[in-house]
Amino acid sequence: MRASVLQENLARGLSIVSRAVDSRPTLPVLANVLLATEDSRLKLSATNLELSITTYIGAKVEKAGAITLPAKTFAELVNNLSPERVDLALDPATQTVNVRCGTTNSNIKGISASEFPMIPQGGENDVTMPGRLLRDMINQTVFAAAKEDNRPILTGVYTEFDGDVVTMAAADGYRLAVRTARLENHSFDKPLDMVIPARSLAEVARIIDDDDEEVGITLPGERDVVMFRTEYTEITSQLLEGRFPDFSAIIPKTYSTATTVYTTDLLRACKRAEIFARDSANSARLFVKPPNSPGEPGEIMVIGRSAERGDNEGMIDASVEGEPLEASFNIRYLIDVLNVIPDERVVLESNGPSHPGVLRPDGRDDFITVIMPMSITR
Amino acid sequence: MHRTILHLDLDAFFCAVEEQRNPALRGKPFAVGGRPDSRGVVSSCSYPARRFGIHSAMPMARAIRLCPDLIIIEPHFGEYRRASREVMARLGALTPLVEQISIDEAFLDVTGLPGTPLAIAQGLQATIRDELGLPCSFGVATNKLVAKIANNVGKASAKGDGPPNAIQVVPPGEEAAFLAPLPIEELWGVGPKTAARLRQLGVQTIGDLARWPERELARMFGKHGADLARRARGIDERPVETEHETKSVSKEITFARDVADGDTLRQTLGSLVEGVGWRLRRSGLSGNTVKIKLRWSDFTTVTRQMTLPQAIDQDTEILEAALQLFEQTWPRGRPVRLIGVGVSGLEEAGRQLGLWETERNSQSRRLQLTLDELRDRFGEGVIRRGVNLKPRRH
Repeated sequence: MRASVLQENLARGLSIVSRAVDSRPTLPVLANVLLATEDSRLKLSATNLELSITTYIGAKVEKAGAITLPAKTFAELVNNLSPERVDLALDPATQTVNVRCGTTNSNIKGISASEFPMIPQGGENDVTMPGRLLRDMINQTVFAAAKEDNRPILTGVYTEFDGDVVTMAAADGYRLAVRTARLENHSFDKPLDMVIPARSLAEVARIIDDDDEEVGITLPGERDVVMFRTEYTEITSQLLEGRFPDFSAIIPKTYSTATTVYTTDLLRACKRAEIFARDSANSARLFVKPPNSPGEPGEIMVIGRSAERGDNEGMIDASVEGEPLEASFNIRYLIDVLNVIPDERVVLESNGPSHPGVLRPDGRDDFITVIMPMSITR
Repeated sequence: MHRTILHLDLDAFFCAVEEQRNPALRGKPFAVGGRPDSRGVVSSCSYPARRFGIHSAMPMARAIRLCPDLIIIEPHFGEYRRASREVMARLGALTPLVEQISIDEAFLDVTGLPGTPLAIAQGLQATIRDELGLPCSFGVATNKLVAKIANNVGKASAKGDGPPNAIQVVPPGEEAAFLAPLPIEELWGVGPKTAARLRQLGVQTIGDLARWPERELARMFGKHGADLARRARGIDERPVETEHETKSVSKEITFARDVADGDTLRQTLGSLVEGVGWRLRRSGLSGNTVKIKLRWSDFTTVTRQMTLPQAIDQDTEILEAALQLFEQTWPRGRPVRLIGVGVSGLEEAGRQLGLWETERNSQSRRLQLTLDELRDRFGEGVIRRGVNLKPRRH
């Protein structure tokens, strides 16, 4: 293999695929990134067997070939090269790649490309989605997925295509986020659902540029994987096995208190309360007060308290409908939702301190989150 | 203004409760504790038993050798706890500044209350005797250190065969003089090692110690030395802490004979968990870290712990984690001498409710609540889950 690439392109490509390299890989070759020439491009691939990322960068190929190089060493080196042309030359006898850039010259020992696992690749786009929409849907759900895997299925995002509606939902047992959207150019005769690891989806969201108008999706068929592709990058993910718990039943249909506030006001109040709530398992208290007389604003108060460090109380004007409310929430859960709501106003709905709370953007019904409170009295 | 601190110690507390349960024990040598054939030790012994040289923490087998007629009573901890709560309630009626340091000991800050310190102590002693039938002794001083030592001294110098019912007052300004003649072991923080080193320096009494310059002691014993110097002079500024902050709740058991049977070990974990969970819930706490402890036949001890995403307080949740740790740690068939379980990472904050907290879940919570109420009323041993009962031998 003999090829030349630009340092910026190589560095960017490596930063994209390196996300699939585990810090403690199960096989030595999984610590490596695959370099393979393809026409006038250089293909970079990395995988942890669950998640695989492949990206292409422009190259001047003099001699076709392939090799794998240790991802960490190679990326660190490339990041410290000057923004010039990088010449890569493989010595097949020693499986060593000579990396030349300007006046620096390095040799990196690799592992034969034949040892690199086969990554399911290519295939037709079964459906395409606007890039920004897909990115929003992912960002508005992945945060609610479980981080620990004592219930592995909850570390994934339930993804369903039904008719022209796509639904994504994630829940970690204490909160739930559900986002739906309408597909413009596709309709599914038969509903199709799967559970995609949240980690994989987070990578998908990360590779989507603002210029990526469409993202192609290859749905699981013969192979039990899902693929997402942008113009230059392709992500292949295994699916999680098992049944995602039924979540539609836990979304409250009614409320006794509905509080509408400016998103940024509530977000700031929550962040201030969180500074103090950290000491008590992030538990912060919310007081909602309806207006004293019609026409006046109601208010919502967010209180974070630390026995050692002090406290914070924040009062926000709110439009309150229904009963007064006092409830405790893990304030991080509120912040996670508010961070991904771009809309001006949000609504918090509740049926009391031991019932699920609903937090959603005002005036929209395609994004809803359910957050369980913390019990106030035992 | 100086403070007035009382140290209360219930005299031979477990025995006093047992005498109430069975008045025939009065005046007889008896001890509360485990059976001698199962490595039991004396938890508490009656004053007649003490004449034989028996004291608490002594192996029961040795106590029997000293006094072959010794009556051994199995402990009824539920009863002791109930009596203890009654006593603490009497103290709490006088002042909220009560720091309970064990089941039968407490500090009270009675600064500024009407009456002389001696009269206050006498009043409490009479209340506890008349209303609860329990004997107790008091040490009175300007701080916790001297009040506690005063109580020891008062009890030791009591005459007669019965409970001491002592009250020892150390007036303000006389702390150092009161401590001076006492052996250095009486001082908090002086264990056998420190005592031996001090003796080498010719220090026998607290007074000897007080004469050493603080700087010298700090040079020899570090920060500990500086503390010793202050204590030897009867100085102690620690406040009476009304809320005892619990860092962890744990229970362990040493087997009479090492156990190598997995089911027995798992079952033991189950009953230990019941005790731990009960204490957690009674204190209104939950914790996110579960720890188990195993000691093998050769006395080496291993501990393993896991941290959960949420704090828990239910027996079933604690047991699930404890069993998981146990299966990871216990090599099948290896004999176990001691097994223990604990919960730490404690917090008082409310419990995070779950999305799928089903009817079954809340039913199990309600069952737990009922079990706890029974235990509160009748003591820890009153009720057990069936799975944690030892199979009955036929």
